[in-house]
Amino acid sequence: MSIAVFLAILIILAAASFFVTAANKKAGGFATVAVSLFALAMVLSMKGSVGGEQSFMYLGFSITTVGWYFSVVMLTAYSMTSFFNPFWMKKMIYPAGYNFLYLVSMAGTIGMFFAGDFITLFIFWETVVWSSAFIIQQGKSRKASYVYYVLSAVGSMATLFAIMLAYSVSGTFVIRDAFTGLAGSPGTALVVFLAFILSGLSKMGIFPFHVWLPEAHGSAPHTFSPVLSGGLVKMGAFIAFLSVTAFPAYEIFGDMLKIMGIPAPIYFLMLLGALSIIIGTLMAIKQEDAKRLLAYSSVANGGYILIGILMLDQVGFAGGMMHLMNHALASAAAFLAIAAVAYRTGTTKMSEMGGMIHRMPVTYLVYLISIISMAGIPPMGGFVSKWLVFQGLADKGLLFIAAAAFFGSIGSFMYVFRPLSAVFLGQLFTRDKDVREVGFFMMFPMVVLTLLTLAAGVFPNIILRVVTEIQKSAGIEPVTLARNTIVTTNGFLDAFRVFIVFGFGFAIAFVLFIVRRKSRKVGLMDTYTSAEFIHTPELLHYSHSFYAPFERLYDKAPDTMNMYKKISAGIAELGGLVEAVFYGGKPAKTIFWIMAAGMVFFLAGGVFR
Amino acid sequence: MLNPVLTIAIPLGLSFLSVILKKKRGWVLLAAACANVVMLFFLEKGEVVIGGFRAPFGINLILDAYALAGMAVAGTLFLAAVLVSRDKAERFSTVLLAALAGINGMLLTGDLFNLFVFMEITAISAYLLSSAGKKPEHSFNYLVLGSVGSVFYLLGLILLYSMTGTLNMAEMSRLAGSMEPAALAVPVFLIFTGIAVEAKLIPAGGWVRGVLGNSDSLTGALFASVYSGAALFVFGRIFADVLLSEGAVQIVLILLGLLTFAFGEAAAFRQTSIRRILLYSSIGQSGLAAMLFATGLIFPAVLVIISNSVSKFVMFTTAGKITEIHGTDDYRELGGLFRGNRLIGTAFTISALSLTGIPLLFGFYAKLNVLAAYFNGRNYFLPAVILILAMVEGAYFIRLLIRLWTPGKEGEEPDAGAATKGTGLFKPVGAAVVFILSMAILAAGLLPDHAGEFISSDGGLPGGDAPSINLSLTKGGQ
Repeated sequence: MSIAVFLAILIILAAASFFVTAANKKAGGFATVAVSLFALAMVLSMKGSVGGEQSFMYLGFSITTVGWYFSVVMLTAYSMTSFFNPFWMKKMIYPAGYNFLYLVSMAGTIGMFFAGDFITLFIFWETVVWSSAFIIQQGKSRKASYVYYVLSAVGSMATLFAIMLAYSVSGTFVIRDAFTGLAGSPGTALVVFLAFILSGLSKMGIFPFHVWLPEAHGSAPHTFSPVLSGGLVKMGAFIAFLSVTAFPAYEIFGDMLKIMGIPAPIYFLMLLGALSIIIGTLMAIKQEDAKRLLAYSSVANGGYILIGILMLDQVGFAGGMMHLMNHALASAAAFLAIAAVAYRTGTTKMSEMGGMIHRMPVTYLVYLISIISMAGIPPMGGFVSKWLVFQGLADKGLLFIAAAAFFGSIGSFMYVFRPLSAVFLGQLFTRDKDVREVGFFMMFPMVVLTLLTLAAGVFPNIILRVVTEIQKSAGIEPVTLARNTIVTTNGFLDAFRVFIVFGFGFAIAFVLFIVRRKSRKVGLMDTYTSAEFIHTPELLHYSHSFYAPFERLYDKAPDTMNMYKKISAGIAELGGLVEAVFYGGKPAKTIFWIMAAGMVFFLAGGVFR
Repeated sequence: MLNPVLTIAIPLGLSFLSVILKKKRGWVLLAAACANVVMLFFLEKGEVVIGGFRAPFGINLILDAYALAGMAVAGTLFLAAVLVSRDKAERFSTVLLAALAGINGMLLTGDLFNLFVFMEITAISAYLLSSAGKKPEHSFNYLVLGSVGSVFYLLGLILLYSMTGTLNMAEMSRLAGSMEPAALAVPVFLIFTGIAVEAKLIPAGGWVRGVLGNSDSLTGALFASVYSGAALFVFGRIFADVLLSEGAVQIVLILLGLLTFAFGEAAAFRQTSIRRILLYSSIGQSGLAAMLFATGLIFPAVLVIISNSVSKFVMFTTAGKITEIHGTDDYRELGGLFRGNRLIGTAFTISALSLTGIPLLFGFYAKLNVLAAYFNGRNYFLPAVILILAMVEGAYFIRLLIRLWTPGKEGEEPDAGAATKGTGLFKPVGAAVVFILSMAILAAGLLPDHAGEFISSDGGLPGGDAPSINLSLTKGGQ
């Protein structure tokens, strides 16, 4: 089936789901499950037809391995998350619109990943932006949708500028040709490169565009946050990929100033990635809301992915490409776990929850494994990909970036375990004593994602084999894979052996846990307060202001959001001035300005000719 | 084939007739508006000589693709406006019929003085219409500025006549081309001012906030789409076809367009009243079109005018109806309004997204052509400005749309109960017209090359301007 037909079918099915939802909300939710699983199956079956070029009217498609890989990542996030849709329909204000846009944005991402020319790329990119913006507003915040849309627009407009500029020089919109045509003019190439990658940076939440992630991920409907963080953010990684592969960045900037062996423009972007890791980590530590916390962790992980892809080498690049899959699996699972808890308790504030492990043990395990992966601890997928990124950084001696990457890795321990201990461990709130585990239908996607995360950590070569194909098509040396080991210049990694070692350790700990005497359970309010009565359990929650001493170190740090607020206020102020000066409603004023314009014309005709 | 002069004569004749047929004047108006649109399909292209004297001695009408595009936009939207607000339009039947004749005349005429006459007919009807807003002060301002503009235009015409000895456009174009550009500075300024009043350009658009900010569903649509579209087409005819300026004078013209564009968008950004957002956005789009005409890029400018006119028609009629029914057009008080009016909400959303240049809508094709035209001319500064302003435009429109769709407090899940009550903004006919127009935006956006060919068909636009970009040649998979 050609891509155009496939996309057309998806759009028709999206429209169908709209009407199904209008008739029966729950059925509409199940329709999204069916359609997104169908899309996933279709894309998976397309592996064989890689290499073809197709076109439909003015849309051009090119079936590449990298497009296939990104589509699989994206559709995994979409299809797994869709299992939650039927249960949240009653909370949506526009359930039919939600399902329609959910599927339209999904189709848009596929179209974008298989785009053969920039116009097609841009058309589908914008389709995803507006459809997801209209979904986000159905969550807790209207402002979040606004911030998301505006920052996306900043990126889109910059990218459009880059596309048109490249077109004006090389005379084509075909992705590879348009960029290679710039080789003769490095100045233009630099502008194109920086403007083009801007939309990728803003989508991935790279500093200074990261402000939309906590807003949008934190406030989007619970069933869309997993897609945003697990899926849509990866569109930015695709743009970053194009910026260094389709755009021969290392060749064109080869003669430019080099910093630590990397051309300055690329190094500058890597620094932005490093900054995102640091800022994402520090901000995540601060958060009280589990979803905002995970959003900031996506900022940090976006930094790893960007740095990995920008390295465009044998090892680090493979790490970046693999990390986007691992992060998609883990963050979708983590957001789904939080959504499952929110489904039962109605809140995502960490200090309002506790002891959920006693009520929702499976959700606990899902969350545990996904954060282990995000923090890069073996034997999960995240460990392998981060290991590869570190290897790449070490190989090239990129000292400062590596420092940030290590900082982020250690910092992530501080934040990912906080929701774990706050939400799942500790004492159960009295009001939550009747909470039950979510049903099978919601548990299923969480378990699948968890198993995939584990599989990625134990058998990483399944993913890395695809990555080597991508590396070959990008013209770089592929990462060396032996039977189940990854070989780099500094050593090798046998993920299965790591898994055995960790499994053994886990088994010993488990035996100790069984043998040991059970601890006594104490109720949350069972405490001594020197004659004071405390009625609000939140105040007794030990995770409230958990890292206060640490946070004090940087609580005066400037907020990037203020910058955007200032720009916005500046535009509004200019608007006010314009209104007062030109549109005040007094004809005399207008006539004054007409005369002033007359003077300018007069001068233009006489003096400056 | 029909003689184009009929498109002027029939509405003008019916205008007088409608004074006599007091009871049936609404029907006369409707019939004339319909006939006007139907006639467009059968008009004979080319030059029509009036009174037997050939140009440059006599007066002639010229129907080329450019004039036809202008008449199609103005005529279709005129009919749509009459259909949507028939009860209001009926009161102004005579005035509207005269305006229709004037607009067709403005677009058709090949004579600069004749243009002045038609512009006056149109302007007087506009003054009368603006009085429907029940704010005489604003109509008065409009009248004053309009009169100043007319005088300036006439003065410029006299100067040109004394310099070239002709009022015929084609002849003027030929003679002015051989004149020293500096000598044209003053007449260009005078004529620019005359048209800038109607085209809402800085510095002459001071009346717009008062009149459009208090418009109803009829006048808003007419002023923002029909009149403004026609005025911009005239602007293009004069500054991109007849009086081609160059050097510093051209730069000043471009700058004035650019300033109007930037200032309009900035002013729209801070508004909370829907009509004010729309009117400043219209000012901005007029500035963009003027800037394009002044650069000599006719086809992109025509696309911008068409895209803006159709979108603004949908949005202004909706805003007018909202004000009539809910008593306010402050979007902060209208949270979730579209929940009860989903069809109209969809039409409004499509129009707004098209204006901001979202792909697969007509506005994207317009924006792409604008950018391609500037890039083809190796101009990189103006596209950058256009894209930055498109960002501002996207910001205020998405804020408006979000608010109108989703009720509820910030920081909480949307609350259906808090949605602004009330359904049925429009009567069925009005709703159908508005919805069909928004679907036209979508259809033209899905098939952009067909739309582009349709607009530039048969002999093309003045200066042989054609689409700057052909989307079917952009694809990679060949």
